[in-house]
Amino acid sequence: MLSRVAESLFWMSRYFERAENTARFLDVNFNLLLDLNKITHVENPNYWIALILVTSDKERFNSLYESYSARTVTDYLVFNKNNPNSITSCVSLARENGRSIIESISSEMWEQVNNLYHYLQSVTPQFVHNDPCGFYKEIKNASHLFQGITDNTFSHNEGWDFIQIAKYLERTDNIARLIDVKYHMLLSDTQNEDEIVEGSEDIIQWMAVLKSCSALEAFRKVYLSKIDPDNILRFLILDRTFPRSINFSVCAAEDALWRISGSSRHRYVNNADRLIGKLEAELSYTAIEDIYAKGLHHYLEDLEQRLVKVGEQVHLTYFAYHTPEIEPVDIEEALPFTGVAGGRAYWSQAQQHQQQQ
Amino acid sequence: MSRFFEQYEPETGHFFDEVIAAEGAPRPHYDKMLQRFTQFSIDDIKARREIVNIFFRNQGITFTVYGEDEGVERLFPFDLIPRVVPAHEWETIEKGLIQRITALNEFLNDIYHGQKILKEKIIPAELILGSQHFRREFVGVNPPLGIYIHVTGSDIIRDREGKYLVLEDNLRTPSGVSYMLQNRQAMKRAFPVLFDKYKIRPIENYPQELLRTLQEIGPSSRREPNVVVLTPGIYNSAYFEHSFLARQMGVELTEGKDLVVNNNKVYTRTTRGLELVDVIYRRVDDAFLDPLVFRPDSKLGVAGLVNAYRKGNVTLANAIGCGVADDKVIYSFVPKIIKYYLGEDPILENVQTWLASNPDDLKYILANLDSLVVKAANESGGYGMLIGPESTIEEQEKFAEMIVANPRNYIAQPTISLSRHPSFFNDTELWGCHIDLRPYVLYGKTVTIVPGGLTRVALKRGSLVVNSSQGGGSKDTWVVDE
Repeated sequence: MLSRVAESLFWMSRYFERAENTARFLDVNFNLLLDLNKITHVENPNYWIALILVTSDKERFNSLYESYSARTVTDYLVFNKNNPNSITSCVSLARENGRSIIESISSEMWEQVNNLYHYLQSVTPQFVHNDPCGFYKEIKNASHLFQGITDNTFSHNEGWDFIQIAKYLERTDNIARLIDVKYHMLLSDTQNEDEIVEGSEDIIQWMAVLKSCSALEAFRKVYLSKIDPDNILRFLILDRTFPRSINFSVCAAEDALWRISGSSRHRYVNNADRLIGKLEAELSYTAIEDIYAKGLHHYLEDLEQRLVKVGEQVHLTYFAYHTPEIEPVDIEEALPFTGVAGGRAYWSQAQQHQQQQ
Repeated sequence: MSRFFEQYEPETGHFFDEVIAAEGAPRPHYDKMLQRFTQFSIDDIKARREIVNIFFRNQGITFTVYGEDEGVERLFPFDLIPRVVPAHEWETIEKGLIQRITALNEFLNDIYHGQKILKEKIIPAELILGSQHFRREFVGVNPPLGIYIHVTGSDIIRDREGKYLVLEDNLRTPSGVSYMLQNRQAMKRAFPVLFDKYKIRPIENYPQELLRTLQEIGPSSRREPNVVVLTPGIYNSAYFEHSFLARQMGVELTEGKDLVVNNNKVYTRTTRGLELVDVIYRRVDDAFLDPLVFRPDSKLGVAGLVNAYRKGNVTLANAIGCGVADDKVIYSFVPKIIKYYLGEDPILENVQTWLASNPDDLKYILANLDSLVVKAANESGGYGMLIGPESTIEEQEKFAEMIVANPRNYIAQPTISLSRHPSFFNDTELWGCHIDLRPYVLYGKTVTIVPGGLTRVALKRGSLVVNSSQGGGSKDTWVVDE
């Protein structure tokens, strides 16, 4: 498979998943406000700043808006074309990638990317304001439909594996961020990391997080009604069977990477396989107490950085093929991050070469 | 006759009408079609139009218009009434094109080797050596089988008497063949019954024939050649066609950045490392192929490609430097070229052409600008053209200046009333619209022409310009056995 085609499949999938996850972010925030009966304080900046902080986008946001509110944060994350990670930008980028490999994907896949793109062109801020949950559900369903269409109309060979890697790397990253949004919410309430307590309000917030991962029902089947933070974190980070848990997603990315290269347990053939294998092995032997010992926030931050490293290695191994004479480009230069602070920003596709003529 | 045809004005006094003969009766090969159309109401036609539009939209058959808003994609206008070419007429076209393309290939081979035709002064040497498409650096290079022009598409028109004439040879990267194939598919969807009434020769094997041709010209002593299509990318107006042909042939569609040259060999960059490429069906112009040799600012090409080609490690279809033979000035010499290399008279004639570089012709051209069509020698797509009878005095003066300043770059031809074919306007009435025909010629071990081609229609009333970039459309073309 041409490296360019593989790369476009990868980013098409990744941007689609990112759009879905941004919808989930916003959704969880609305749910939290509703559940906490704080909808009257919906414009309180404390409830919105977290969404921006967690993506390290504070600088860009401040250059575009004057304050944090439901309106500005929603506009930034849904519509703003200057935000490369807004839902609109992600879907446009997914479509651009799909368009450049239109002969390689199934026409049904292309239609679905195209449909969502045109749907977004028709949506107004007022529409989102009137029915935020309905709008986010549209986005989530469109993404699910795309995944289903892909599974059923596209050969499950190397190209499909690149789609899976992208999807699960992106998802892992986003589950970590989603948990972190909740963490920031608590901080903004207490202003002190040591004061996090397990009150009933806290439980309601955690339930909202579960709902946003479509995980509440699956969680109950495992832990019945024992909704406490330990179990929830255990489920969202360590469960191996739920498709929106970190451990499951890492395993799925590992499977896809190994299928492409022929790696197996105890025997890796490239650095991408090694790094994902190491991460998977560690997750398999991690207890929730280990995560607490490290500090939840630091654990998640470390995880995200390791995912970036895996992504870099996928790029080096499969996309940035170079001849022996040509020195490999510095990976830091080749892959600009969309943000800068603390390595926590989203990883984004290297600028596509502009064509001329 | 159908009520559509009852109101149709063939104006046979002024034009050659493809369907209605001078006496007012339909030509025999259109009989069955007219009978069928008699049974259609306006609603029937509209329903079929809808089938066709949905087909084209679902296939993504659009083209991009330059100079308008970015990303403007339009459906290629399609006319529902097919053009019928009877087998005996097709035979003349086929023989004529084989003769013409064979001679032009001989000509290129000569120009890039011994240059006998120049030494014998059949063609003034300065016309060739001064042409911007003559590639000095390829003199002495031997393409496999001695073939330069693997894929060509000559434009053929009919004059007042219905005689087929060649208007233009496209020896570089002629486009439109995907429309030929898709038009046929669309017609099969919309008018299945008509297909039952005619013995229409199939064209669906074009992609296989193209692939066979490309495989035949692979560098010698090779395994099954690895063929790729090279496209300038998704912003090119013919990108759909590039992607379509790659899909139909089952080969990779590549952009310049997918290819890399190492040690004078061309490779694709794949997820499994480098893969050797043998034949490149390139839809990128010479000037953009290799930034080391041609335009250094080109990002569409591959650095080192030309050297790999000169070494014979990769074949380019078409070869580099073919443009020298489809220049509109060289066009006027094609009858002599045929005579010189094959010792035959041309089967298909040229349109009479005056060369501005010839002093007598220049005088005639300048005196008759209001009745001639003036063309720049190296422009295509209907750009850089003056249609005398439709032009203003200012335009004529502007062209006169340009011609005098650079006579080598201009030719003139009489304004030919291209033949007309009834075409639907708004799906409610029929107009006579001017048409031409572009058959596609493949040259591998043998010369192959799939029976048919792209019939282009000037859908603007009275317009003579059939190019898609200038508001033209197309119709399906049927070569039928009687």
